[in-house]
Amino acid sequence: MATATMVLTRVKVQRRFGLALRVTAVIALLALAALPLLLGGDVWAQRISRAAIYAVIGLSINTLTGHAGQISLGHQAFVGIGAFAAAFTASRLGAPLGFGLAAAAAAGALTAAVIGLVALRVTGLYLALVTLAFGLTAETTIFNWREFTGGGAGALAPRPTLLASDHAFALLCLGVLALVLYLDWRLVSTKTGRALTALRNNERIAATLGVNTTGYKLAAFSLSGLIAGLAGGLFAHWNQIVQAMDFEFQVALVWVLMTVVGGLRSRLGVILASALFALLPLTLPNFLSSLPWQPPFLNEAVYHVLPPFIVVVMLLIVLRCFPGGFGQLLRPATRWLSTGSARTPRTGTGGRT
Amino acid sequence: MGAFLALGLFQGAVYGLLAVGIVLVYKAKRVFNFAQGEFGGVAAFTAYAIVVGTGLPYWAGVLGGLAAAVATGLIVERAIVRPLESSSRTIMLVALVGVALFTIAIIVLVGQPIPRVMPPLVDGGGVNILGAGILPQQLILMAVLAVLAAAMAWFFKTDLGLAVLASSQDTRAAQVVGISPIAVSRLVWGMAALLGGIAGLLYAPVGIFTPGFMTLTMLVPAFAAAVLGGMTSLPGAFIGGLAIGVVQNLGIYYLGQQLKVPGAAELGVFALLMLVLLIRPQGLLGGAN
Repeated sequence: MATATMVLTRVKVQRRFGLALRVTAVIALLALAALPLLLGGDVWAQRISRAAIYAVIGLSINTLTGHAGQISLGHQAFVGIGAFAAAFTASRLGAPLGFGLAAAAAAGALTAAVIGLVALRVTGLYLALVTLAFGLTAETTIFNWREFTGGGAGALAPRPTLLASDHAFALLCLGVLALVLYLDWRLVSTKTGRALTALRNNERIAATLGVNTTGYKLAAFSLSGLIAGLAGGLFAHWNQIVQAMDFEFQVALVWVLMTVVGGLRSRLGVILASALFALLPLTLPNFLSSLPWQPPFLNEAVYHVLPPFIVVVMLLIVLRCFPGGFGQLLRPATRWLSTGSARTPRTGTGGRT
Repeated sequence: MGAFLALGLFQGAVYGLLAVGIVLVYKAKRVFNFAQGEFGGVAAFTAYAIVVGTGLPYWAGVLGGLAAAVATGLIVERAIVRPLESSSRTIMLVALVGVALFTIAIIVLVGQPIPRVMPPLVDGGGVNILGAGILPQQLILMAVLAVLAAAMAWFFKTDLGLAVLASSQDTRAAQVVGISPIAVSRLVWGMAALLGGIAGLLYAPVGIFTPGFMTLTMLVPAFAAAVLGGMTSLPGAFIGGLAIGVVQNLGIYYLGQQLKVPGAAELGVFALLMLVLLIRPQGLLGGAN
């Protein structure tokens, strides 16, 4: 009896110790991530904002492609519409920032819902084509509609005085990212998440199980558009000016690849990959020009193709070697942090996307 | 008006030429080939490097360009398509989008993002058709499109083409009767790359060309053409290509010039694509196949 109690106590103590260790590890990692924000000055505050905005975009694509299994090659359109809506409410109507962000989210959700209505009729590859064509049309028609976007000159999106400093704005972006993460987590661990899993794995079987496939598909599109619009609103105020050329349709392709590299349905993987691709265009040229020796074919003119080039190389490696992306590589670590055991239990909810 | 019609018709010939390659890959592998445009990009830039860069005769440039395109096609088949054969079509599509972006990035890195002018196949002034100046190059393009669409339609009637179709329908059963899926895959991607290369070589001299010129502006209309034609029909790709070209230019004429809508060409293509998919998803000439 006494031995049994002792063993149990030891197990309990070990568990407590393990939990404390894991909590410490999480806090240490978060602190490490916050270090550039505290010590890096305005430059790093701006970069962190951009990384957070990209992470929100990645999570938006993850909602649609990862959870619902629908592809969108025109996501830059939703983000762009959100950005222009925010700029419009801020500069033309003079509305406060919160209102602008709400308008951005609503605009993104509405546009995505309209595209979602089409998505109910076409599937798979055709949907990719429709969204790609929509992204192209948005780039050339909607974003060049002078009354709404200010044409080539762009639309101004000034920040309110409270958020004028880059640090305050970075905190806002991180706050929105946390909110979207919470949304994603609630989405997955509720009835909706299970319905979306069924939908993703096999639409016909899901329908026979009583899942309202039409409704959930439309909901996934709207939610994804809402998050994308929100990211667009943040982007508008981050850059303080929105131009059509920020939302060329190739951007959407890079975003989709970025999300796949991060790992569909892996929050941490998507965030890491998104942050990486947010920072690459800002840091890579400086890094390359500081190198003592430079390859002859690299110069200012070609820097802008390097991030897509790198994402594609990573994509091809990911698809060949570890289809789960960064998320798959990080799985042992994340599993230890969340459950205390690094082993891989049952192979999860399965199903390819 | 008439000029826009004629311009659209000849612009549509390029879409048709790309669409023929897209239809070929879709018929044989059920894959949307987003890399089709870049086969043309590779061919055009290789030919430019040979003809303008080294001063070799034109036929050497054409041969070199086509060889480079086919080599690209075979590399894509070996390195990307075959390893991903068993994964979902969405992943395959994402990978092919990646291939297109990768090729554009390589062309930019090697060739710098500057506009280039390729000498045309036949010199000489434009021919006046309905008030539009049509270059001899564009007439050749139209003729080549007609010949290639007919040739590909005939190909699927030959034993080899039937073998490709059989492999597409049931790979295992086709293997049992001696049709190697690997050989079929190589054949299809090689042919698609050849078609893409021809499209690129013929279209590059029509205007100024920059890296990614076949993918960034031509690919979406080409896909719309393939869908309009029914995705599996080669005559459909021909007709679809011309129709998309005409719709695009009518869009420019009515929406762009008279109503001042920006991006009228893209809007026209998008509207037509939506109409087809919502009203007649099987396309104009698409059957059960």
